[in-house]
Amino acid sequence: MHEHIKERIKTVITNLTALPSMPEVVTRIINMVNDPNVDFKVVAHEISQDQAITTNILKLANSAYFSKGKEISSIDKALVTLGMKEVKDIVVVAATKQILDKPIIGYDLPKGELWKHNVAVAMLAKRIALDKKKRNLADLVFTGGIIHDVGKTVLALYVASTFKDIIQSTIENQITFAQAEQQIMGFDHQEIGQIILKKWKFPEVLQNIVRYHHDTDNAPEADIEAVSIVHIANTICQMAGIGIGGDGLYYELSGKAIETAGLDDTELQYYYSLTPELLKQARQIM
Amino acid sequence: MSIELVNVGVAQLKIASSPVILRTILGSCVGICIYDRNKKIGGLAHILLSKSTNPSQPEKFADTAIPALIDQLLKQGCRREFMSAKIAGGASMFKFTSQTPLGLIGEHNVAMTKKVLEEKKIPLLSEDTGGSSGRVIDFYLEDGRLKVKAGGHEEYYYKV
Repeated sequence: MHEHIKERIKTVITNLTALPSMPEVVTRIINMVNDPNVDFKVVAHEISQDQAITTNILKLANSAYFSKGKEISSIDKALVTLGMKEVKDIVVVAATKQILDKPIIGYDLPKGELWKHNVAVAMLAKRIALDKKKRNLADLVFTGGIIHDVGKTVLALYVASTFKDIIQSTIENQITFAQAEQQIMGFDHQEIGQIILKKWKFPEVLQNIVRYHHDTDNAPEADIEAVSIVHIANTICQMAGIGIGGDGLYYELSGKAIETAGLDDTELQYYYSLTPELLKQARQIM
Repeated sequence: MSIELVNVGVAQLKIASSPVILRTILGSCVGICIYDRNKKIGGLAHILLSKSTNPSQPEKFADTAIPALIDQLLKQGCRREFMSAKIAGGASMFKFTSQTPLGLIGEHNVAMTKKVLEEKKIPLLSEDTGGSSGRVIDFYLEDGRLKVKAGGHEEYYYKV
């Protein structure tokens, strides 16, 4: 354990201004989606308060992936045509791009690689949820996929100076990279991600997706389906090398996650074989 | 003068000549680099799976991408007797608590790649495969050397 690194990370996570920030309107929209009484007009009004986000949302809403061929000229139209959950997903993409689309030095990811990885995981997770007739989880696992690695953006600086020790511990102790991060630095990128989401006041289920994406077996029972789908989508994208970094495949593929998601061998291999098409799709919104 | 760096994506195959550098990033996929040391022309195939299930996408699978790669090199005037191969990738998840074949994709990719190279009589001069590291590989067509960057460590393979 590097005590001084652990102390520095503790300082960073207790000083909320040192963590990435999220416009308040995004948090409000994420929480509104789960409120059955919410009215479209209120949501549209909330969004249009932020001009920069509005512009990006309209751009994304008109991308081939989201628009489904329809022209979306306003937030109102987006809400009516695409629905609130889809608009929420678009808001999350627009709001997290600047946080995730940058070089992540300690994990050896050049600019764009982490962003590409997270977008691909989000799309694959959503696809799995829809294919498995879990429509209620589709938007949730998309959002979870987009932000699952947000902890890396903060931890990267410390991984940069301890990388050799983390890898060595992974191999010597036969533990995952995340477990070795914990052991060497006192925190792993999942825990830091959860702390960031807490700061943003994102719902607990999203916090759990971020916190347990490499540790499905310990996820709270209520959220295990969503966590499992993101875990599998993440594993498949890592295996296909999409935004793979210095931590490589030093993780665990969970049998419990596969069982929970209800995927068989043929389906898993099928999703893996789809990754080139998935990447093309991801580029439409990157 | 800067040397052109060409990225080869997942399930893509690209051919170029000296001094171009072909780059790809690998997890369980395998990067197959074939070089004609006489013409200084080479190609990189980034395969995702071992055995073809879709004839419209030969670049995706080892058993169809390797013959396609050799054919394209022959069309450029390369000759079999000057060709040699280097391969990298084929990593697997470090641990898995399930018997799914997903865990064996990396191994299968490497095994099929070697088998097809042998059938096609292209000598395999070096390999950097297996384990759990992601790899960034640079194939220098200037002299056919291969740089493999994995987990913050770099290795060069020079033999052609």
